[in-house]
Order: sequence, then structure tokens, then C-alpha cells
Amino acid sequence: MQELVNLAVEYAEKLGADYAEARFQSDLKKMYLLVNGKPDVGRFVRSSGMGIRVLVDGGLGFLSMNRPDKKMLRKRVRETLKIARSSAKTFKGSIQLSPEKTFKEEWEVKPEVPFEDVSAKDKMSLLIDIDDAVSSVKDVGVKIPSRYLYILEYETKKRFLNSEGTEISSSLPRLLFFGLLTASESGKGTEQDRLYKGESRGWEAVKQWNLVDYAREKAQTLGRILKTAQKAPKEKLDLVLGSEVVGLVMHESAGHPYEADRIMGREAAQAGESFITRDMIGQKIGPEIVTVVDDPTVEHSFGHYLYDDEGVKTRRRFLIKNGIINEFLHNRETAFEMGVESNGAARAEFFDREPIVRMANTFMLPGDSTFEELVEDVKQGVFMKTFGEWNIDDRRYNMRFVGRECYIIEDGELGRRIRRPILEITTPGFFGSIDALDENLKFEGAICGKSDPMQGVPVWHGGPNVRVRDVRLGGIE
Amino acid sequence: MDPLDISQFLVDEGLTLGADEIVALTTNKARRQIRFGNNEITISKTWDEVVAEVLLERNRRVLTATTTDIEKDSLRKTVKDLVSMANVMKPHESYAPLPKGPFQYAKIPELYDNRISKLEEESADYVIAAVDSATNTGATRSAGTLLVEESTSKLISSKDVEGQRSKTMINLSIRSLADGEASGVGISCGTNLNDFNPKEAGEKAGTFAKKSLHPKLGKPGRYDVVFSRVANAVLFDIVAGMNSAFYVDAGISCFGAKVGEKVASESITLYDDALAAGGIGSTPFDDEGKPTDRTAIIENGVLQTHLHNTLTAEKHKTQSTANATRTRLYRTWMPLPWNVVVKEGKHDDEELLEGIEEGLFVNNITYVRFQDYRTGDFSGIIRDGLFKIENGEITNSVKGLRLSDNILHILQNANALSREALQMSHWWMEFDTPSVWTPLMTAKNVGFTAATK
Repeated sequence: MQELVNLAVEYAEKLGADYAEARFQSDLKKMYLLVNGKPDVGRFVRSSGMGIRVLVDGGLGFLSMNRPDKKMLRKRVRETLKIARSSAKTFKGSIQLSPEKTFKEEWEVKPEVPFEDVSAKDKMSLLIDIDDAVSSVKDVGVKIPSRYLYILEYETKKRFLNSEGTEISSSLPRLLFFGLLTASESGKGTEQDRLYKGESRGWEAVKQWNLVDYAREKAQTLGRILKTAQKAPKEKLDLVLGSEVVGLVMHESAGHPYEADRIMGREAAQAGESFITRDMIGQKIGPEIVTVVDDPTVEHSFGHYLYDDEGVKTRRRFLIKNGIINEFLHNRETAFEMGVESNGAARAEFFDREPIVRMANTFMLPGDSTFEELVEDVKQGVFMKTFGEWNIDDRRYNMRFVGRECYIIEDGELGRRIRRPILEITTPGFFGSIDALDENLKFEGAICGKSDPMQGVPVWHGGPNVRVRDVRLGGIE
Repeated sequence: MDPLDISQFLVDEGLTLGADEIVALTTNKARRQIRFGNNEITISKTWDEVVAEVLLERNRRVLTATTTDIEKDSLRKTVKDLVSMANVMKPHESYAPLPKGPFQYAKIPELYDNRISKLEEESADYVIAAVDSATNTGATRSAGTLLVEESTSKLISSKDVEGQRSKTMINLSIRSLADGEASGVGISCGTNLNDFNPKEAGEKAGTFAKKSLHPKLGKPGRYDVVFSRVANAVLFDIVAGMNSAFYVDAGISCFGAKVGEKVASESITLYDDALAAGGIGSTPFDDEGKPTDRTAIIENGVLQTHLHNTLTAEKHKTQSTANATRTRLYRTWMPLPWNVVVKEGKHDDEELLEGIEEGLFVNNITYVRFQDYRTGDFSGIIRDGLFKIENGEITNSVKGLRLSDNILHILQNANALSREALQMSHWWMEFDTPSVWTPLMTAKNVGFTAATK
């Protein structure tokens, strides 16, 4: 199938395409799953094939194929060009791509411990050890009747070629651990929490994650919440948000709204648009201490890559710089439209998905306070260390986070636990209320979904602990 | 190899390599999608796909694989890898044999329309019809997708089972905007062109966008609510999906240990109907080869059953409901709904509004997230039309509210349904239901919250 990449580009050019690219991509995903201590159906997905994009007369076409059939490939390329031409004729046909440098590169992340060096039995044993740890009422202090745990390993290989002369090959291993624990206590109901780790590396990631302790600690926390947490206050107060919460806020409220395709209306039907408009570059959105970046180049990050799926070399993007809206996330189509260069944000989940504008690793840069300094300056407040439920409207303006592990702050000291405080706040309201960041920086892994058909790409999000002044917790009275 | 010969090849290979049982399902699919935004086509896509899926059992170990690498050697390797994995895995706790054939499968009407399979660039005419009618009814710009699909699937199992199905599908989803915030949505979908009406979908989207102009800030609290068909598609995908026995066992459900109990008001009856004529998810057999049926999930408010495959049925000591399949994203093996059907009520759509003195009309729900799946506490984003109802009439558009309630609470407070159910296929179907047939529904005392800053 790989050899058809050249044929696809050459044939599209021969038929008059102004631009053509072909990407062979193979993904091998293996999943090991344990439900309530019992091994469930083990599985793997071997996805491989070719995604081809053509631009002709201002109309864009995408074709995906997985059967190694030259005759069929030519037929489909002809059809794709015909449909792209036809749509360009019917509509304005105004799509163009930004001019970019060409590259011939190969890059890879080499695993220290390749996945195939560890047996399926050992991988299942790790899940069983985690399950044993969270199931021990003696250690955890509460029953965990539902335990859903899995390990997902990916190996992604790509070969990209376009009609401008760019050729990029890459190889990337990724590892994801996910868990959902449900704690139950008589008379107190239930509490759930997710466990999530993701990195672009081999099995060696597992050692660093220390999953047994991580899961046990999460389970213990659920138990403490169930047994001791009290009602959340309703009056105006200050909030200290843990880096887990801050990270997701950065993803949802500083990452998504800065995706240029949303700003242009290309994703209006499903993912939505943005409260940010193209003329807001240079406007103030937060205090000077706030700088938010999206950076695919962070080594071993879950959203790691060096060249995007349009063959553009990527870099750190400063979305908000010292409180000012600084740049958007671009692929070549949006970059042309806005008169800038692409910053390498085009990603496609599989061979059968078009490359669209995506985040990679979105995070707020840390400040210089200590965590204790954030807290000691709060007279009455709440520390929302982690969250359970969250969502945000499709313009990325109105967000909600329901706290999981949360504490009262009184006269500069952390006090009793509270249960499920609700932060419901607008994006400008949030950024405008930040007054301090601590020096820590933590990341969480996640899969970010967008578009139709859905594309779920691996990302990290992160940040320091952040203090937000003068907010009222939400919910129904 | 002909794509439809792959299933037999995989089964033969599996048995040769030592599988006790094996079932293979190969789908040969051609799809076209037109995406549009700002009244323009943004991209036209074609997929030419062959996907092979295998479930293999050996010494009570159960494994599954999905592959698009369909060269003969790769297919052989896929089966070999499964057998190797089976050798080191632990036995499945609730192993049960695959269904034993041969079976006679039902002939489901209206699943294939030749006209859909022949559509090429003229599909754009449907987009133009939808966009034009949205513009004519009040939209300034529209975005959306038109998806056209033709597929043939062949299933072979080592238990004397063989099945084949061919389907077509067309799905237009249009979202129109009258300004940055005022929006509406229209959906027209099905397996044939008889009921496909892009113009009407565009009209709905445009009309709701216009109605959504000049919104007033909503007050948080509890309201009586009319949920539209689009909103209900999202709610009932959750209700049916959470009744997958897999999700019940994993703690991703508020229906655990509730079979036989009243979980909804008497007005709610909910089926999973794999045999629905013209159903986007309809299939005569599940992924184990078992003949499918119409299964009552909730009848007059009482939970009748969870949805099962052979493995979950064994664990729950019951019969499979023939819902064996895989999730869209990770191809996780579990029971899932085929077509969710909400039983109609007795009222015209307008009559449902007339019964509400003061309340809200919710047109679309997305981004649903749960605080706790086991209790059903969740919130969701409302968009594409949120309106105040006063004395039975829509008075103004509302903004700034978020649906914040509990799935069981909404079901128990549902008090009326309209008499016309339509098929909806919504992009926000996190529990993977292919389609939901639903009328409008009213529910009392539904919670809404708002931003505090």
C-alpha cells in the first residue's frame, strides 16, 4: 500500500490538481481491559491505508482507501478531482493553502522498552495489581464496587508526500492508561473519578506513572470525600484551582477558541465556532502574568509531533502572551485565509481522516509563587484540586467545572473537604479574575474529540495552581 | 481477494490455527461526505473502505481484532496474533459459546436504495437546497454535513452461521446562524430517498436561527420543558446506551440493579428495534450472527432488560438480546443499541406547548458530561434554540442557561409525548446509537444553571 503514495500524488497532478498530498498511515492499537477485576475481551485494531487530499480550482477533495488496488485508486482519484472541481464551480471555490517551506525528513520516538518486549500476561498482571490495590477496603477505607481499567498501546507510522516536494516519515509509540473508579458508602451515595495517563513513549512510561500507588491514592481520596466532605458554600469567595482543573480550562477556553477553523466558521455545524474573532489579535484577555501556549514539541508528551499532517514543521504557539491574545492555531488553509504562515497544527487521527486544526499540548506557563503563598492570601475561599464533570458551550464562552477533591480555605489555611462545588463562569470572567499563579507545572493526558467524522487525538493539558478572585459558586438553590 | 470472501478466509485460518470458535464480519463500504460552512462547500470526501473484524475464542479466552490491512498475509497474521494473545491471556469469567446456526434472518424493508448508491457530484444539489431554504427562512449563513453511504457486510462463523446485508444511508445535518449566537438545527436522514427532505431540514435550521435572535438572559432554576426531537435523540441515546450490560458492569450507568423497577414515568416506553424498516442501524443479525429483534428496554416506565451479547448474558444469567457489536472509537466489544425507538404519545406537537404555563423549549443538547454515571447526575450544553414558553406559547429566545439535572429524574418527570416520531441521527451520540426515532417530550421540573461571573 505504501508504494501507492507516490502514484496517488503523481496521478492527481497529471489530472490537473493544483496541489496533491498522500499520507500512508498505519496504527496498531492493542487494548488490555479489566472490568471489576475480571479480564474482558482483549483486542487490537490494525488500521492502515492512505489519505489523499487534492486542491483544484479552489475546491478541496479528500479520498481515503485501504485496498491495495491501483486501478481502483486511479478511479477514486478521478472521482475526487471531479467532485472537487464541481463543488468549486457551484460555490465560490476560494480555498487556497499558505505557501510553506518544503522538507525531506524522517523522525521517530524510539521506545526504551518496546511494547512487544512485554507479554500480554504481564500487562494484564499490572491491571490486576491496580485492581487489587483499589479493592482493598482496608487500604482504601471504602468499597470500590465498580472498577473499569484499561491500557491502550499505539504504534503509529506515517509517510507523507506532497506535490511541492515535501516527504516526511515518522514513527511514534504512545501509551494510555484509563480507569473509572466508583466508590460507594452506605448513606453517602457514590463518587466516581477518572484515572488518566498518556505519553508518547514505550512501556517504560509505566514505571514513571507508578500506577498502583496513583490508583490507590485516587480511591482513598474518593473514600475521604464520601465520608467527610460537606456542603459547598454559596457566598462570594476566592478560588484556588489545581493544575488539573487549570489544564482543562486552558484546553477548553484558550485552546479550542483559538483554533482558526472554528474562528472562520468551518466547524460551525458540530464542534462549533468561537467567541474569539480574527480581529481580536492584540486584545487584552487576562492579566500580564497569564501566558498560554500550545506546544507539540514537548518531549514524550501525549500530543507530541515534529511535523504536522500537512508536512509543516511545528513549533511552540503562544496563544496568549502576557495577557494579550497573540496567535491562533493554523493549518495551511486557515493560514492562507488569515494571511499568516501555518504554525503546524494540522492533525489527522487515522489515515481515513482529513488533517484539521488541532491542539497538541496546551498549558499555562507557571508563575513564581509557591502554592502556600496562593493559599495564605485567601481569607475565605475554596481549593478545587480536581474536577469530575465539565463542559463548555460551542463558542467556548460559558464553562462549568464540578469539583471532585475540594477544600475550604479559611484565613489562609486549607480546611475541611467540601463535596461537588460548581464553578460556572464565562471565559473572560475567568481570565479577568486571575491574580496569582504558582511555580508548579503539571500535565494530564486526554483524547480530544472534534469534527465529523469524529477525530480523537491525544493531547496533554496543564498548568500551575491558579488563584481566581471574587467568584460565586454555582448550581441550583 | 474479493472483500466478501475475507470472512470465510478468516474463519478457516482461525480454525486451522487452533481457535475453538470464530466469527468474522467484513464490510465493504463506499461513503461520500460534503462538509459545508459559511454557505460554501469546504471539502468533499470519499471513502473506499474494507474493514474486517474477528472474534476468536480459544480455551475460554476471548479476543477480537479489527483490521483494514486486508492483504492475505496481513489477514493471516491478524488471526495468528489473536491466537498468540489467547495463549497468554486469562479465561473470560463469563465465557459462553457463540450462537449455533443455521439461522433464517428477517428481510428488513427499505434498507437499500439504488438511487443513493449512484449519487456522485449531484449530492451537492441537496446541500444547495438545504442552504437556500435556511437562507430564505432567516439564516445568514449555514454549516453542516451531507453523508451518503453504501455498504455490504458478510458474516461467517464457525457455528454454521452465514449472513449478508446491504444498506444505504443518507444523512444531512445543517446548522444555521442568524448572527454569532442565534442558531438553529435541522436533520434529515434515512436509508432511502423517499423521506429525505433537505429543504425541510434547511427551513427548520433557518427558522430556529431567526427565532433565536435577541435572546434574554435566562434565570437559573427549575422549569417545565419541551424537548425537541433533536434534543431527545441525545437524551435517549444515553438512556439506551447506559442499558448496555457492559456499561452497567463498568459503572457507566444509572440503571444497574434496576431491571423490573420503575425508572421512568408511565408515559415512557423505549425499544431497541434492529428490524425497523428504513432504520439507519437496522440489521438482521448481530456481530455474533444471532438473529436480531425488537427489544423493549423500558415499557410504561418499567425497566425490562439491559442489552446483551452472549458474554454479558451469561454473566447476568439471561439470554442475549442480539446486541453484540463494537464501539465506534476503540472497537470495544460490547452490546449496544441498533435503533432506539421512543413510543409516541397522543398529542400534536403544538398541544405539548399548550400544556405549559411557564417553561422552556430545548431544541438541541450537546457536550453532556456526568458528575457520576451511577447516579445519573449530569449537565449539558443547550444550543440551536432555547425559548421561553408562557401560557402555551413561545415568547422569546433565552441564552446563558445550562441543562443541569439527572437522567432518572428527567425520565420520571416526563409527562407527555407527541404523536409523530421521526428518525434522528445526531453527531453527539456518545453511546454510539446509530439512530433514534423520537417524538417531542415534555418533562416537569427540569434543572438549569447559569454562569455566576
